[in-house]
Amino acid sequence: MELPFGVLLWGIRVAFLLLIYLFLIRAFGVLHGALAGERDPSRSLGVLVVERSPSRTPRAGERITLRATNAIGRDSGNDIPLPDEAASARHAVLELRDGEWWIEDLGSTNGTLVNGVRIAKPERVRAGDQLGIGRVTMRLERV
Amino acid sequence: MTALLRRGPELRLLVWVAALAVTGSVAVAAAETTTFDRAQLAVPVAYVALVLLLHVFLVARGVRGDQLLLPTAAALAAIGLVLVQRLQPEDRPLLLQQLTWMVIAAGAFVATILIPRDVTALSRFKWTWALLGVLLLVSPLLPVIGREINGARIWIGLGPFSFEPWEAVKIIMVIFFAAYLEEYREVIARPRRFGPLPVPPLPYLLPILAMWAFAMAVVVFEKDLGAALLFLGIFLAMLYLATGEAFYTLLGVVLLVAGGVVLYQTLPHVQVRIDTWLRPFSEDLRFGPGFQIVQGLFALANGGLLGVGLGNGLPDRIPIVWSDFVFDAFTEEVGFAGAVALLALFLLFVYRGMLIAVRAPTPFLQLLAAGLSFIVAFQTLVIVGGNARLIPLTGVTLPFVAYGGSSLVTNWMLVALLIRVSDVTARVRGSP
Repeated sequence: MELPFGVLLWGIRVAFLLLIYLFLIRAFGVLHGALAGERDPSRSLGVLVVERSPSRTPRAGERITLRATNAIGRDSGNDIPLPDEAASARHAVLELRDGEWWIEDLGSTNGTLVNGVRIAKPERVRAGDQLGIGRVTMRLERV
Repeated sequence: MTALLRRGPELRLLVWVAALAVTGSVAVAAAETTTFDRAQLAVPVAYVALVLLLHVFLVARGVRGDQLLLPTAAALAAIGLVLVQRLQPEDRPLLLQQLTWMVIAAGAFVATILIPRDVTALSRFKWTWALLGVLLLVSPLLPVIGREINGARIWIGLGPFSFEPWEAVKIIMVIFFAAYLEEYREVIARPRRFGPLPVPPLPYLLPILAMWAFAMAVVVFEKDLGAALLFLGIFLAMLYLATGEAFYTLLGVVLLVAGGVVLYQTLPHVQVRIDTWLRPFSEDLRFGPGFQIVQGLFALANGGLLGVGLGNGLPDRIPIVWSDFVFDAFTEEVGFAGAVALLALFLLFVYRGMLIAVRAPTPFLQLLAAGLSFIVAFQTLVIVGGNARLIPLTGVTLPFVAYGGSSLVTNWMLVALLIRVSDVTARVRGSP
């Protein structure tokens, strides 16, 4: 028995509308899954905790929220300015590369220390490592 | 094998898009004739193949960014093709033209993914972008290449092709605003106050006034209300994002209203637009300038909850329905249920774009992604609002859906830029 053409046509039209809704349900499902995967979508990338500082900016104990790239130095134009005579104007860069933190010295006078050791080339920094720039020391923390 | 499935969610969503494109095309074809011709499937199949090619390209290129934008834009464009097939007049092969434009748009998408190699580098040439934007914007006013179509002088023509430079200007301006606002965001750290009101520092006040003057100039010389509205709207939204000062936005809106009142008093074409919005059914307008909106409203009312069925409506009663009134035509045939689904697709797109903006690692990329999402959001709002007579009707196109080459090409470049911003985020954070 052949299906009446009108019924078929009606079926196709309903299918078209249903498909848009099915796509929407799937797409919002993917969106929800992606959001549930990371607890806070606007979570910060990492935090530097100031352990020792000779001046009040930054104070010892202060927590500095990190961006993907953080220029550190005596200049006020740096992302993390350290008004300390022992720090160079443009001292170092702390940068997130493929999910890992790396620090690079920018040819500073007094050098950059990772866990007390002066670095010669870009070094990987892990959570808990201590950074020394001028007379300021800071510890990397992951949130 | 796992490398091939890296963008698995995207591929699975595209399967639904493929089903959607074929079903819609069959529904429209079946409503027109009782005999089924297999050649009619060529257009949706070609379209699906094209979108799958884009997916394969993203996988091959190793792009790690967002997997929702491509399927969502593809679903909207699929609905667009179904509608163009339905709405094309007998003497104009709009469907084939739209498919051709879709191929060009896919090429533009690929090019935007490939160049520039570093998307942040876009911020370095901000004054070049500004100059290019202004040149493109005034180009329709030039004598040889400028063209006036349907009362708006916003096209440039080269031989048989005509192009709306405004479409490209949108993206260029968002890149410029993002770079400009990133550079001057420091200024806001020291706000000066005059009583309770923050006084905008000069680097903010100047561009607000310049943008306003620019938008007004577009209305006066190019007779394009929609472009002016979008231009100012996108700028004010990005300014608010960069500064967090609602007062600046308020200032912009006050300037817009003040300018609107003056233009209404002095320019006849603005008067006609406002009058047809406020009283389209009055005797003097119903069969004149108000005819289009009146027919559109009848179509909306005819739709009901589930519509009259694809192919059963009377969309040819609306002049230029394929570019100005696709929302009304779609709603008439697929009903309120279809209209809600269509708007939900736009919501999904904009929501996703905003999430990309929130996560982007630098202020420039955040402002860029937010501005690009705003383009789609505002454009949808302005044209759907215009079609439904909530705001005055303007000649803005419904993104991805309406017939129109320049709009399709620039919107797909916009998708590519958003994917690139999310790709940078994924690489920085080390997520897949």
